[in-house]
Amino acid sequence: MTRESKISFLFFAPAGIFMIIFLFFPVLLLIKDSFFQIDMMSQDSGTFVGISNYIESIKSDRFLGATSNTLIYVVVAVSAELLLGLFFALLLNTGFKGHSFVRTILLSPLMIAPLVSGLIWKFMLNSQFGIVNKLLYDFNITSSRNAIQWLSDDRTALLSTIIADIWLTTPFMMLVLLAGLQGIPITLYESAKIDGANKIKTFFYITLPSLLPVMVVAILIRTVDAARTFDIVWVLTQGGPANSSEVLSTYMYKTLTRYGEVGESSAMAVLFIILLLLLSSYFLVSMFKANKK
Amino acid sequence: MESLSRTPHEKKSLFQMIRKHNKKFIGLITTILALLFISPYIYIIFTSIKPSSDAISSTPTFFPRELSIENYIAMFDQMPILSYFFNSFITAFISTVLSVLLGALAAYGLARFSSKLGNVFLLITLCIRMIPMISIAIPMYIIINSMGLIDTHAALIITYTSINVPFAIWLMMGFFNNIPKEFDEAARIDGCNIFTSFIKVILPVSLPGLATTAIFCFMLAWNDFLFALLLTSTNAKTATVGISEFLTAYNLDLGPMTAAAVSFSLPVMLFSILVQRYIVSGMTLGSVKG
Repeated sequence: MTRESKISFLFFAPAGIFMIIFLFFPVLLLIKDSFFQIDMMSQDSGTFVGISNYIESIKSDRFLGATSNTLIYVVVAVSAELLLGLFFALLLNTGFKGHSFVRTILLSPLMIAPLVSGLIWKFMLNSQFGIVNKLLYDFNITSSRNAIQWLSDDRTALLSTIIADIWLTTPFMMLVLLAGLQGIPITLYESAKIDGANKIKTFFYITLPSLLPVMVVAILIRTVDAARTFDIVWVLTQGGPANSSEVLSTYMYKTLTRYGEVGESSAMAVLFIILLLLLSSYFLVSMFKANKK
Repeated sequence: MESLSRTPHEKKSLFQMIRKHNKKFIGLITTILALLFISPYIYIIFTSIKPSSDAISSTPTFFPRELSIENYIAMFDQMPILSYFFNSFITAFISTVLSVLLGALAAYGLARFSSKLGNVFLLITLCIRMIPMISIAIPMYIIINSMGLIDTHAALIITYTSINVPFAIWLMMGFFNNIPKEFDEAARIDGCNIFTSFIKVILPVSLPGLATTAIFCFMLAWNDFLFALLLTSTNAKTATVGISEFLTAYNLDLGPMTAAAVSFSLPVMLFSILVQRYIVSGMTLGSVKG
């Protein structure tokens, strides 16, 4: 070991030791547990069952249902956030008078807890007292005050959770895309103008391609975050009715706490980790390179 | 087609005129849309200051017809909400101090004396950021349980710190990489060793970075619901879990629920507007630079 790496190690050691005990060890334990049948009540470490927990998870309809719901959640939420975020970012980027004030308004939900977003929409989508149903009725969109049972109808429950997610995280998307837009060199626009490109052409040939790298990273960050969603779904529907809004996080939580199935929930958690790491591997590599330099 | 027949000069002034009005028009539209966008939050604030019967009226209005603090009184009556807020704050605060301390040290080591080991750890660190919380929660629950720490502040402090440390390292590394190495060298010439130059020179220069990191660590812990739900029951119950308990099957506590949700999030919202500069720099660091 050179002197440099010794010093590096010294600085890193406290955090490293902490992470080994409270992060790497838990992950190893998770992997180990996924091969065992464990009874939460008894103290023994369970019996080895090989990959049967994995097979059981993959074969179970509820796991597949939760996986497909998670996919729908991610795809719908992230695309809607991207479009809305881009829309707001483009509007703000025109630099109208007072744009920084409007930006502050739009960014204000940025740090709100997902739980609070869930509570807000739980209240607004309530079928008895909710203002959403009242507005829909007032504008003659629906025929009665409680025409849509947002949270207790299996056709709208997942959609309701997605709405809460879109509302909460569009500001993040807007922020990142706006920063990206402001990073596009003005000379590109000037030369496009000289070449006689109109606004639509400029948007598709200059703005979008220049924004693409930022967009890809923003989509990846949001995809990983949306896939991990728990709070919003738990508060709004707890995965119900009839598992129609069950996502992977809520299903694993239930498998652990309600059914006490440590082995099976661990197996699902390992599958979930692999899925997300594969999904984000491109992002990981580019971030790693950026920070390492 | 018409514009083609005009002289270039006319064309330009017309274009500029439309553009000028366009901007005002866009500003107006965007302001309206932005207000519409945050209206759900304003609605919750308004509801929390309605009389409790109006809060759960079947014909809700956006603006309060009458002002009242009934919902806030009911919130205090129904549960020891202050102690939940205290639990949230103390666990978030201590875990933030720990995460920033451990994270800053580690990041400096990795950024300045980058070794192979450091790179391996950095990669693992990044992977951990992608791991779903629930996957960490399952073994964490078993470990905390076997340590006999269920329902204690320590359980949450350990958990939040372990999630935040990798994040703090990654964020701080971005900031340290931007500080020229000449700073360290100058300090060394002035007689500092590596540790004193870190404390006396590097840390003061990277205060904005430390602030950004602290804000994000604090917010993660303060906003956490999953771990608190899993690891606490009465003594260490945090505000998020407490507030979620206002949701009963009969909807009767929705009024106090809005009061609690506002008490929990409004300070955060005002604070985040105040420190928006740091939040923006933290959020755009990885995505725009990377």
